[in-house]
Amino acid sequence: MSAFKNRPKLFVWMAILLLGMAAGAAGVIHVLIVGHAQSYNVTREIPWGLLIATYVFLVVSSTGLCLISSLGHVFGMKQFEFIGKRAILLAILTLLCGFGAIGMEINHPIRMGIYTILSPNFSSAIWWMGTLYGVYLMFLCAEFYFLMKGMHKGAFTMGVLGFTAAVSAHSNLGAVFGLLEARPFWHGSFLPIYFIVSALVSGCALIGMIVYFNHKKSGAPMPLKYADFMDTLGRLQILTLMTLVFFVVWKIIPGIYGHPPEKYEATMSMISGPFAFNFWFFEVLMGLVIPLCILFPKKTRTPTGVMFAGLSSTIGIFFMRYDLVIIGQLVSMREGTAELVNGLLQYTPSLSELGITIGAICTCLFLYTVAERLLPLDPEEH
Amino acid sequence: MANPKKQKMSRRKFLGISSCALTTAVVGSQVKVLKALAKSGDISEPVAAITKDVYTSCGMCVNKCGVIARVRDGVIHKLDPNPNFFPKSRGMLCARGNAGTKVVYDPDRLKYPLIRVGERGEGKWRRASWEEALDMVTNNMNQIAEKYNRASMMFASTEGTFSEHFFLQLAECYGTPNTLRHPTLCLSSNIQGFSATFGTNPTPDVKNADYIIMSGANRAEALMTPDSIDMIKTDGGGRRKLVYLDPRFTKTAAKADEWYPIKPGTDMAFILALINVIITEGLYDDDFIEENTVGFEQLAQHIKQYSPGWAATECDIPAKDIRRIAHEFANAAPSAVYYQGRRSSFFQNDTQMRRAMAILNAIVGAWDTKGGLLPNKKIALTKHDYLAPWYDDVPDRLDKGGVTYLSEKDGSWPVFRDRALAADPYPIKGMMVYKQNVLVSVPDRAKSLELMKQMDFICTIDITMSDTAWYSDVVLPEATYLERLDPPENLSGPVPVVAFRQPCVEAMFESKTNFWIMQQLAKRLGPEIAETFDFTMEEHIHHMLKKKPEIYDALFGKGVYYEDTEPEYGRLKGKRLRTRSGKIELYSEKYAKKGLDPLPVYKSPDKVPTNMYRLLVGRHAYFTHGTTANNALLHDLMPENTLWLAPSEARKLRLKNGQMVKVKSKVGEEKLKLEITEKIRPDSVYMAHGFGVLSKGLSNIAGVGGSDAALIESKYCPISGNCAMHETFVQITPA
Amino acid sequence: MKNKRFAIVLDTERCIDCKACTVACKAENDVPLGPNNYRNWVVASKLRGKYPNLGQSYTPSQCQHCSNAPCEHVCPTRATFTSSDGIVDVKEEKCIGCKYCQTACPYNARYYNEETGAIDKCTFCAQRIYAVPPRLPACVDTCPTKVRAFGDLNDPNSEVSLLLARNPSKVLKPAMGTNPHLFYLD
Repeated sequence: MSAFKNRPKLFVWMAILLLGMAAGAAGVIHVLIVGHAQSYNVTREIPWGLLIATYVFLVVSSTGLCLISSLGHVFGMKQFEFIGKRAILLAILTLLCGFGAIGMEINHPIRMGIYTILSPNFSSAIWWMGTLYGVYLMFLCAEFYFLMKGMHKGAFTMGVLGFTAAVSAHSNLGAVFGLLEARPFWHGSFLPIYFIVSALVSGCALIGMIVYFNHKKSGAPMPLKYADFMDTLGRLQILTLMTLVFFVVWKIIPGIYGHPPEKYEATMSMISGPFAFNFWFFEVLMGLVIPLCILFPKKTRTPTGVMFAGLSSTIGIFFMRYDLVIIGQLVSMREGTAELVNGLLQYTPSLSELGITIGAICTCLFLYTVAERLLPLDPEEH
Repeated sequence: MANPKKQKMSRRKFLGISSCALTTAVVGSQVKVLKALAKSGDISEPVAAITKDVYTSCGMCVNKCGVIARVRDGVIHKLDPNPNFFPKSRGMLCARGNAGTKVVYDPDRLKYPLIRVGERGEGKWRRASWEEALDMVTNNMNQIAEKYNRASMMFASTEGTFSEHFFLQLAECYGTPNTLRHPTLCLSSNIQGFSATFGTNPTPDVKNADYIIMSGANRAEALMTPDSIDMIKTDGGGRRKLVYLDPRFTKTAAKADEWYPIKPGTDMAFILALINVIITEGLYDDDFIEENTVGFEQLAQHIKQYSPGWAATECDIPAKDIRRIAHEFANAAPSAVYYQGRRSSFFQNDTQMRRAMAILNAIVGAWDTKGGLLPNKKIALTKHDYLAPWYDDVPDRLDKGGVTYLSEKDGSWPVFRDRALAADPYPIKGMMVYKQNVLVSVPDRAKSLELMKQMDFICTIDITMSDTAWYSDVVLPEATYLERLDPPENLSGPVPVVAFRQPCVEAMFESKTNFWIMQQLAKRLGPEIAETFDFTMEEHIHHMLKKKPEIYDALFGKGVYYEDTEPEYGRLKGKRLRTRSGKIELYSEKYAKKGLDPLPVYKSPDKVPTNMYRLLVGRHAYFTHGTTANNALLHDLMPENTLWLAPSEARKLRLKNGQMVKVKSKVGEEKLKLEITEKIRPDSVYMAHGFGVLSKGLSNIAGVGGSDAALIESKYCPISGNCAMHETFVQITPA
Repeated sequence: MKNKRFAIVLDTERCIDCKACTVACKAENDVPLGPNNYRNWVVASKLRGKYPNLGQSYTPSQCQHCSNAPCEHVCPTRATFTSSDGIVDVKEEKCIGCKYCQTACPYNARYYNEETGAIDKCTFCAQRIYAVPPRLPACVDTCPTKVRAFGDLNDPNSEVSLLLARNPSKVLKPAMGTNPHLFYLD
């Protein structure tokens, strides 16, 4: 327990994470005992629930971290180089925990391992997404290895490959939804592109928090160099957020203009229906407005401000993922399938689903916190 | 590759287990149920046997459709329609028929004889041996005979098991006249009204009728073959019209050409107005009336008062529509039918209303002709004769004289119950019940509970813990219809058939056939009674078929026997009908002599009091009366019942869709969910039958929904003794 | 021998929403109990009109056995496949339970069967139609009013071919381009 000596905050932080992991473990055990059908609130009409949203959230985070960190060691923006190790480490952890979440969602992860190799279907976006994320994970690991070893050339090569894999895997994740003609809210070329843009927001937000807390833990005031970085990051975040605003607006307008069938009902559920609170409060206010209000004025674009902006937009982005996944399924494929409320299907996550989601996120943070203390993640001083 | 599907069969999901889930809570296949039961020690593991197809008859309702049971490894895997059953079920099997497997493999089944140990209705039982349970039953029967009178035992029986006559035989041999059957909860007024007119209760030729008017008989949901099939327009044939009257928009209404939400209880006004138009405008069949009927003059005189304008205000159907329908009906005649159908009776005037229907059909000549009413035929089977012992001092039926025409065997439930409660003229102290669910089927449940309370002894034979069984002292488990060899039965109709049942699998648990139970009771009641049951079922079947042994081969060979495939029209032409005059009696001399209206006289139904609603009953295609709501497959289709209420009324009462409401009548109060729907008249409410059960032995529906029997007041038709199901008013309040 | 191409033709005018098809299918195919486990269904349309002028139609349906089946395209392990006779089927042991096909099917024809541990759906009762002697699919066989006709479209004299030749018909959601093989007579 010596690690916690005189560090009550760390103790509280780890205790919270362990509690969250316990909730996740409880959820997993419940699923293993009573089965998926009894544990999850997903239905035949809404087969994808909170766990898919969690998966999407975590892999978007991973992609974002990879893309933003590549600004440093791939695109040579010096200011970004120092965050490389931490960003890639967290990218690996978020990806693994994302895999964990989806592994709990699908019924036969072992069969998946076997038959995606023995019986691949090249027309399946899930197959491509899964395969590309697998490749991406390998590149990330190699990149992290080279970074840790200080092998810049290898890290650069792997960074380029990782960047490429991240972009392809992630746009394929968008395609998993975007290729479904049956779901007008998702269908089209919008989602693959949108996913990349929103990943950049995630990446900026998470890196802002990493840098802030990394320095916070040392107790020393942040060196000017890092404070400058935070300012740059804040400005980059403004750019990505503004782009995202643009995307959100252009997602909504075609969704309501001329009342396109099914798309309209889904979009309206977000604007004024059951998902309105999620949308206006979490997605718009926390995800976009608050971060922009903090980041725009020079006065508040301090390291602390950038951290808070990042935290706020990360929470907002989680709800963006959740809303995207669920709203796409809210419109029934036919009349009279189930009890409709105001013409829409309904879904509320079960305790197991909530537990596993909390568990996945806490595990990720826990592993990162531990790694932060065990691994030399600070950049070598040149 | 031979065939990609074959593989699938062999590895069919007998014991599928999700590789991730360690246990599965949903019990699906029959085999799973069996395994679960085997684990609990109730039965031994199913033994592998060959796959076979077994012909039998459905027992899910009273319709008796033809069935082929597909038996795989000693387990009934699927029930399929028997395509040979042509004249009646014509190769169909409804949802209930298909759910029959779940009757056999039902975890809620009665498995062995039970003897009550707690208070009645408390649900405390102990397992007993057949020996002990049967002894207890006969000891009690003998005690009641000694202490009171043999007539103090009542026997209540179901219909449709093909073996209820053994139960009635035991009643007769034991020496009580008090047997009660379903007709007064069902169609006795219908039979009475049509028989008074035609000397028989004919069957409408739905298949060939060009014009059909149906009132209240919801044939698309209250399935009766072949009418439910024939009701649907078929390709090819002439354009037919279905006019449908019902206070509810049922599925029959959805299929009808015209639907009128008639004011409940005014059907007779509508019919009389049709007769009025047909007579005053000379649309009737002169020659037919002349040749075949009596009393047309009196009718013509009597009907003058019932104009369409008058009827319009009575039944909420515009006069011009009544006039038009009368014209269309008469034009289509004789291929036109005012469909009397098989359904429960709704008002106290039901017999006279049925008379009006019969008269309308008669004056357009829709009798014994293609597309009209057809007299039934039957295939005569040899009866089992027995000599019942003679007992002195056994009085008449308890309900004798309670109504004008009382069926000696069937009695009248409401009349009987009232007299039994008053011990007038003698007490009823013992109750034998064969599968009739008295507490669910007879209106005014509180009274039925009173009746059961006053019994010294109650024994119920059933397959599940019905409410009635729940309040009994001894419960005997019967083998289900798929486990019994049942005697052949003539299903009469324009094209009669003989149906039967044979065991598809061995009777599960300790369940026994009703025949066996009756034999055992008879044995204990003494040699004289035992003798009347001294034969095997095989012998009984051969005896019944001795005049036509070819029936035997037909039954076992293709599941059914019939001689014709098409009705024989004009069969009774020139022959004497079984009425007093030998003709169709438009004016009933018989009724006049009894002091009844010889011609139907209309009386308006009671007005719905303010702030109250008329409670309507009605069928749907998923449940049979009070018996199948607990069936796992059917329960998926309708897990609870709701109270239908019109949106305008819901607004007035400030009630929301889906909220719980309290429904209160003079005799009871129930709670159930509200369903706001345009499908019902604003002055009425409706709830499906079969929920709100008292028994906790029906695990799917215990504590769910509301019971209509608890609310309906026991009013009845004074001519037939038939219950009037729609004469109850209720108040609706938020629960 | 020429391949078969199985199809069902429905005359919904005849449907009385009795749900015999749904129960028959559940019994025949050991579909687990539960109101959301089913391979076929009947849709009751929204009530048309205002009291007392009302109307309602009933439309039975099931897997459309599309010849351009989205479920087949999206399945990552090719667990969903189309047989040479046009039947879209699932190889249970290959199904990973990702439920992508459920989100891809525009007809909501699929559900996850907890007992077999795989996605389950209508197979036109392959075990019946290939039995000796062959039997009709359970839903077709049991229907009181005979709404459905089943047969081989590649046989120009089959009942389904004749019905489609003589009557105009529709398919559900034609704009999806799925090319369904459940045909609804007009």
